[in-house]
Amino acid sequence: MEREDILKRVEQIFREELGQDDIVLNDETTAEDVDGWDSLSHVQLVAVMEDAFGIEFSSREILSWDNVGDLINTIEKKI
Amino acid sequence: MVVNSLTFLWFFLFVLAIYYACQSKKELQNVFLLASSYWFYAQVDVMMAGLLAFLTITFWLLGKGVNHFLNKEDERKAAIITNVGVVIGIGALFYFKYLNFFAESIVSLISPFGVHLSWTTLNLVVPIGLSFFTFKLMSYVLDIYHGKIQQEKNIVSFANFIAFFPTILSGPIDRPKPFLKQVNQARLFNPDNFLIGFRRILWGMFLKMCIADRLDIYISAIWNNYEHHSAISIIFASLLYPFHMYADFAGYSEMAIGVALILGFKVAENFKRPFFVIDIAGYWSRWHMSLTSWLTDYVFLPLNIKFRKLGINGTIMAIMLNMTFIGMWHGANWTFLLFGIYHGLWYIPLMVNGQFFKKRKIELNAKGWPTPPYAFKMAGIYLVVTFGLMLFHSADMTEFFNVWGSIFSHWNGGLFTDMNTMVNAAICSLALIYVDIQEEWFPKKKLYLPTWAERWRWELTVAVEIVCILMFGVFDNNQFIYFQF
Repeated sequence: MEREDILKRVEQIFREELGQDDIVLNDETTAEDVDGWDSLSHVQLVAVMEDAFGIEFSSREILSWDNVGDLINTIEKKI
Repeated sequence: MVVNSLTFLWFFLFVLAIYYACQSKKELQNVFLLASSYWFYAQVDVMMAGLLAFLTITFWLLGKGVNHFLNKEDERKAAIITNVGVVIGIGALFYFKYLNFFAESIVSLISPFGVHLSWTTLNLVVPIGLSFFTFKLMSYVLDIYHGKIQQEKNIVSFANFIAFFPTILSGPIDRPKPFLKQVNQARLFNPDNFLIGFRRILWGMFLKMCIADRLDIYISAIWNNYEHHSAISIIFASLLYPFHMYADFAGYSEMAIGVALILGFKVAENFKRPFFVIDIAGYWSRWHMSLTSWLTDYVFLPLNIKFRKLGINGTIMAIMLNMTFIGMWHGANWTFLLFGIYHGLWYIPLMVNGQFFKKRKIELNAKGWPTPPYAFKMAGIYLVVTFGLMLFHSADMTEFFNVWGSIFSHWNGGLFTDMNTMVNAAICSLALIYVDIQEEWFPKKKLYLPTWAERWRWELTVAVEIVCILMFGVFDNNQFIYFQF
């Protein structure tokens, strides 16, 4: 799976889970840029992404992400 | 040394003069800041300053170790060292604050089963500010482990983060990243910071001396003699207590933030109009924010991640543990434990009906005021908080039940009045309520001043605050509630 495709899939998950069709993600996007992306919805998003990509993140990986770019890097490594 | 005392004022002016005299030499400025912080802390207890230094050096070395193994991509060893840091931090808290409580609780819990153990209560002095600086120490190693920061190479900078005198006694609990960035930059005298910091100190003094200490006179008169007071007086004093505590702790926080700002540091905020909320989650997102955000990041989030496969039940478990931790953080007492559990239970309906996961905004009418249903919800949350703080305020569970016993049995008798205290407190409390309402719902509207006075707005506000402090303030160097934690 190409990085671009991972980003699109992650973006789709964000839109579905947070109920906002206008979310646009890029590598620099942080929680502050997306309405409703807080510590709680973050864990929900993580669980959905794990199912969607068939992978499992470690706690350290999840807690180390600063932006969407970091998240995509981790997914890229695992699939 | 109380922050709103003359002794502190002389100390601060002395520090300020030398601090900015050496502003061109950042290293010297930092060494002087550290020496000032330790001198300040040693005024409380010299021995505890030694413990603070020992823990600081230990965690600095642990941070070095975590960084070293992460650079070598040995995550397992880095995790071990991080865990050592967490164990030392929690161990220090446990030893000084909870050992007696747990040992005595175990002894009394197992005695009905015929097992008779004995425990001699240890005469331990809890280092002041322990709950605050151990959290800073632990966040340092955890942040390095999670890749949020690199180790701080300069031990003076790191020691300043831990011992920074404006925040060491009662917070706000700062995070390593923003503080270390600031301490490693040159800090030149900035008149804007000075003026804003001065205003925040003044506002904090107003909250503490004119509202909190004034209300304390009334509340203590009733709460300390509840068996002689009517139900209506006890209920009224209990309803004042959340507001009293808000003025006390927000007052302290404003002063700490103001002092830090004058020294060139922006530290974490602690309060954001906490009673203008419609559920308990909103309340905790605005009350003691530096503690709740710390616990969210280092307790709730890791637990929620661990339990994520359990769905909503996992989140409920994480919240309950987190809130129990918040309660116990305040001290070793069943009242604090139940205070935390009580707040945790209020989250469950929010999570079950899905409201917890949604943005919850207060609905406003055309004039910008909350609509009646939302105003009632806000009042309801105030009552929920009041009940919780009655637990918090009680010395033990016996006192809590006795207070409620008095409420149910003392229906005769009117409201205890102390007109002087009540009028003074009411005037100043209305000022705080006015400011909070304006900031929350009418941030663009300013108090109208005639044109001639408009150019003197800043000076007039400062003058009014000073006059109010002199007229309505209580000048008895009353301690802040949160110094005990």
